Amino acid sequence: MADFDFVVVGSGMSGGWVAKELCERGFKVAVVERGRPIDPVADYTDMVDPWQMEHLNLKGPDTYADYPIQSEVYAFHSYTKQFWVKDGEHPYETPEGQDYKWRRGHHVGGRSIMWARQSYRMSEIDFTANKRENFAIDWPVRYADIAPWYDHAERFAGISGSTEGLEILPDGVFQPPHHFTIAEEKFKAAVEASFPGRKVIPGRAANLTQPTEEQTALGRGKCQARDHCFRGCSFGAYFSANSATLPAAERTGNLTLITDVAVHKVLHDEATNRVTGVQGVNVKTNEGVTITGDAVFLNASAIVSPLILLNSATEYAPNGLANSSGQLGHNLMDHFSGARGYGRMPASLQSHYYGRRPNGFYIPRFRNHTEEGEGFSRGYGYQGRIYRNSWSGRVDRGGVGSDYKAGFREPGEWWFGVVAFGEILPRFSNHVRPHKTKTDRWGFPVPIIDAKHSDNEINMVRQATRDTRAMMAAAGMDLIRGDDPDTAMPSAPGDGIHEMGTARMGRDPATSVLNGFNQSHDIPNLFISDGSFMTSAGCQNPSLSYMAFSARAADHAGKLMKDGVI
Amino acid sequence: MTRLNLTQANINRRSALTGLLAISASGALAACGQSSAATEAVQEFDVLGYAKPTKFFSGSEMRALGAMADTIIPSTDTPGAVEAGVPDVIQGLASEWGDDNFRQYWREGIRRVYKTLSGETKFLAMSPEEREAVLGAYDAKVYAGEIEDTFYRDMKKTVATAYYMSEPGATQELAYEAVPGEWIGQAPISKYPKTWAT
Repeated sequence: MADFDFVVVGSGMSGGWVAKELCERGFKVAVVERGRPIDPVADYTDMVDPWQMEHLNLKGPDTYADYPIQSEVYAFHSYTKQFWVKDGEHPYETPEGQDYKWRRGHHVGGRSIMWARQSYRMSEIDFTANKRENFAIDWPVRYADIAPWYDHAERFAGISGSTEGLEILPDGVFQPPHHFTIAEEKFKAAVEASFPGRKVIPGRAANLTQPTEEQTALGRGKCQARDHCFRGCSFGAYFSANSATLPAAERTGNLTLITDVAVHKVLHDEATNRVTGVQGVNVKTNEGVTITGDAVFLNASAIVSPLILLNSATEYAPNGLANSSGQLGHNLMDHFSGARGYGRMPASLQSHYYGRRPNGFYIPRFRNHTEEGEGFSRGYGYQGRIYRNSWSGRVDRGGVGSDYKAGFREPGEWWFGVVAFGEILPRFSNHVRPHKTKTDRWGFPVPIIDAKHSDNEINMVRQATRDTRAMMAAAGMDLIRGDDPDTAMPSAPGDGIHEMGTARMGRDPATSVLNGFNQSHDIPNLFISDGSFMTSAGCQNPSLSYMAFSARAADHAGKLMKDGVI
Repeated sequence: MTRLNLTQANINRRSALTGLLAISASGALAACGQSSAATEAVQEFDVLGYAKPTKFFSGSEMRALGAMADTIIPSTDTPGAVEAGVPDVIQGLASEWGDDNFRQYWREGIRRVYKTLSGETKFLAMSPEEREAVLGAYDAKVYAGEIEDTFYRDMKKTVATAYYMSEPGATQELAYEAVPGEWIGQAPISKYPKTWAT
């Protein structure tokens, strides 16, 4: 008799969803988290006023020494660093001359605490892209398969957004959108008039603008427009595993949350070809831990989940569990960022705004859709904002005394900032593998992350940079600062913090790790529903897709268990 | 996860921070280049005047810094830099936050700029009006590109940052809402006439 019906490895964006769906269906679920518990009162810093911030919230030499990689993240500062790993304690390697930015936190909720909350559906265009281009393998699902689960995920998580009727970016179940500033409205009009295939729409963010009864019942409240989300939210107003899925799982009485246990292996019984649980180590005491379950979900990230299975190799499966295809750990993808542009936007200085919007505008993909791209397939979307120049944008200015001081008091000119996020193609050569000899201090193999961009990504970011300039010019802006279209490069692999693809789903067990329900082709009671399953990346922020696929996979796994299939 | 934090405000904030941090790396070299001037300047300061071992800047350095900070952001209908605690914040940065390069850069910078501003009458002995005239003239040359003084600009940026993050700077000089409650994308400037503090 196993300890649990299901063991879920990882409590973040996707693991929380699996736990919720399974617990709500009456299954006994253990969620095993390698990090520490989160106490909102102690860990969330969203009520700290600027003058309470020590040392002007500047990152100091000690911080850079402890967090050389994590400290580069836009969401990292002195009042969020509790959510990021100390790099020295969690080593990984890259091949000589290559870079990979692996950004992560070890705590209950994982990166669902620090995410940027942008929530977009993938479309039929994305799910058929590999097939149309005969690239990599086809997705085993189509938009119609996942659409009801997007509805389900959005309804529960709470996504603010506008209904636009775009094929490239399907509409969903939305709470009211965050409205544009007057300058953003003007930018939208200029772009849409100059480029008929392009749209500038409100960002779709997992911040509650009109909470439902279901959300209120979980203790979640309306977004207070503070834009301190990366510090955690005492109002539970943005979606995190901590604010939403884990409390929903917990209230069923079926959840057991086990923290500070790093899973190293999935246990497998050769006679029945079933996984029987997980083995790991308590990271505080170094004691070995075994947790048994009738089925296992891996939700430990697209870097760690494949490594756990590769580290679970047996005589039966010498290349790693669930790896008869040889694809496990391969086809690592991300989204690159680039094509940045900053400029002054001519718009009325008689208009201002109130509050701090945790969101911005979004320009859905138009390349290789309504407009051709030059030298690349797929495309990119843009995210940006146009605000009045704040005080901090005006500190390095001539003058002293009352004149200098007076130059801060009124809102400055309108400033525009934009960045593109582009699709990275799945390539076998981009992969993660365990180091043969080196381990971390708990005995888990050090990951070697080997990922490089191709000409497709480079040509794409250059087109995006040309497009940035053209849209700024169309809106009457001078480019103040931005990338050069001739030399622009995509951000380093991993920098998008969207690692995915390392246990891709497909129809053929010979070329894919998972079937269309996130279930291992090789071992029927093993599932992976973190970003590892992604067969291609789209250019949309992926968390909403992880939520929808996780809920669908849990529903499917639950049915299989009830039917006695697994 | 993706980043939306790319308003100009944030970008400039980040470059301000980068500027501060670049100091750590470049401070030692800068210090070498200015060593004789610095040595000379040191003699004007009571090196033994540390109030506490945990405070890096001496009393005279703090007075010089305070006079310059209050000239950059004086008290008007709202408090100025000193009343807002700006020199103490910079003392904290040097004493608890920065490394030796940072400390050296700031010590030599404060002394050098103070000395530059002082003629027959020391800067501290001048009236507020005289200080503003002297510092304003120097500032104009720096921002016109006639004088290259990275430290001065770093100091000015830090003074302003500390001021607008202070309680009086944020809540009296600018407008601050800890918990706005909602986002209103468009409102007349007459309703919200001030720069938001954060």
